[in-house]
Amino acid sequence: MATTEVLSEVIGSVWRVEKSQGDSVAEGEVIMILESMKMEIPVEAPVTGTLSEIKVAPEGSVDEDQVLCLIES
Amino acid sequence: MSFDDMLTDLQAREEKARAMGGPERLAKREARGVMNARSRIDAFIDPGSWVETGLLAVSSMVPEDRDKTPADGKVAGFATMGGRRVGVVANDFTTKGASSSSTNMKKIGHVKRIATERGFPLVFFGESSGARMPDNMGAKGMGLNLGHDPQQYVRNRETPWASAVLGQCYGSSAWYTCMSDFAVFRKGAIMAVASPGLASFAIGQEIDAEGLGGWKLHERITGLIDRVVESDEEAIEEIKTFLSYMPSHCNELPPVAAVPAGSDDAAARILDILPESRKRGYDVRKIINCIADTDSFYEFKPRFGRTVAVGLARVGGKTVGFVASNPMGKAGALDVAGCEKATRFTVMCDSFNIPLILLVDTPGFVIGVEGEKQKAPGKIMNFMQALQMCTVPKLSVVMRKTYGQAYLNMGGGRNSDDIAAWPTAEISFMDPHFATEIVTWDQDASEEKKSEIREQMEKDNSAYELAEIFGVQAVISPADTRRYLLQQLDIHQLRLTGGIGKHRMSAWPTTY
Repeated sequence: MATTEVLSEVIGSVWRVEKSQGDSVAEGEVIMILESMKMEIPVEAPVTGTLSEIKVAPEGSVDEDQVLCLIES
Repeated sequence: MSFDDMLTDLQAREEKARAMGGPERLAKREARGVMNARSRIDAFIDPGSWVETGLLAVSSMVPEDRDKTPADGKVAGFATMGGRRVGVVANDFTTKGASSSSTNMKKIGHVKRIATERGFPLVFFGESSGARMPDNMGAKGMGLNLGHDPQQYVRNRETPWASAVLGQCYGSSAWYTCMSDFAVFRKGAIMAVASPGLASFAIGQEIDAEGLGGWKLHERITGLIDRVVESDEEAIEEIKTFLSYMPSHCNELPPVAAVPAGSDDAAARILDILPESRKRGYDVRKIINCIADTDSFYEFKPRFGRTVAVGLARVGGKTVGFVASNPMGKAGALDVAGCEKATRFTVMCDSFNIPLILLVDTPGFVIGVEGEKQKAPGKIMNFMQALQMCTVPKLSVVMRKTYGQAYLNMGGGRNSDDIAAWPTAEISFMDPHFATEIVTWDQDASEEKKSEIREQMEKDNSAYELAEIFGVQAVISPADTRRYLLQQLDIHQLRLTGGIGKHRMSAWPTTY
């Protein structure tokens, strides 16, 4: 079992979280959408697995390289 | 002395020189999973191809070091790698920290001169404590050692240089890394002007080595390195990969590779990646992977200047350089780091006859005081100058937004040899939403009025409007992009010079 940290590519805020803790995600599936520079930035699962933790909530601000969620695979 | 004795003596001297700093020091490194100078070379080159230069060189300044400095701490020579000639310098940290001395700097100078004049790449395996002391101290130290070679830091990009930062790299190993076309960094290594100890002693700054010059700093903040790896073995493989895209010298074309089966199929998937909403970001690297030969995109500086993605790839088996806006980073708006990254990469491609492909989706330049403090206008112009001075073929594809000066920086106007636009392209001076806000600034404009103005601002900004005035030469379906590029790369070959560009920026700085 490996844990993969999903990092934010941008400085911005969380616009929408599409998945919930415990959900299965496939590689490339959108987990949440950030908002940065008036753009919607999708955060995709880098690996297939289970979302073990979501560390941010809608409207919360995020930094570049901040851990957004964890995937167990 | 008989001939037999003479030859036995020669053999003994050679064996001693090859033993580096001795079995104990070598064993300690091995236990830590760190290769030594000679094992790094062995892993890099074709077996049996090593031709060493200066094996019997030793310290020449301090008599008592004479027997303690096998090969004088820097292993230098020539070999083949993948059947192609290369020059190699590997620092032997077990011998006086591979510090730079009078003798070993001559060895580096020799390999550098031969590689440059005879036309083959130069590779540095860096791990050095800096200038040797007391050798370099005093007027004679400075006058006889450092600064004795007026060509030491001359870089005209005649041949590709690649560096690996594999341990602590202070002084010359840091300088050569920064002068290289490609640098790979092993996690745990350090690259800095001087050590944390000296920083503490000289200026009272308390900082650990990682903070002063570790991989995170260089990968994300300075952009002085291109790739980060976990081990020596991976670093060696990265240099092999980099060189596989490069010609041996500036008067040669890059090698041509076989086109992997299925390379023409991925372009059909571009519309699955490009969002329909103009407000939705996407990772342009996925688009590049659909256009380039399968698995050929080799990205430089993936975590630095992320507003633009740059890297070598192959299209139809031939090496190309991609410079692509990445809407995942700051919506693709070019910032200072992005401009530096694009400039450096453009200069390298132009110097080694590698055509450039610009993929464009940028709302402009990042504005604001942070950029201005970092000399944003100068960085934008460096990039612009580099693009205009390029003499390799330049092809541009406008995927979505292209606004203002960034339109020119990304190959718009006559800044590419051929430009195509996707039907999703928007071209203007400024994003219509921002333009509306600017012209209604300080006015009590109603939403209705703003909407009317916005509509006006959105007029005439389509790919077709630009095609009508020959601002683009074609409007193409995204799925046809690879075919378009293959055709244009063929049309724009530099036939009059056999593919060799003018290399007008070959002496430009290697860092910005």
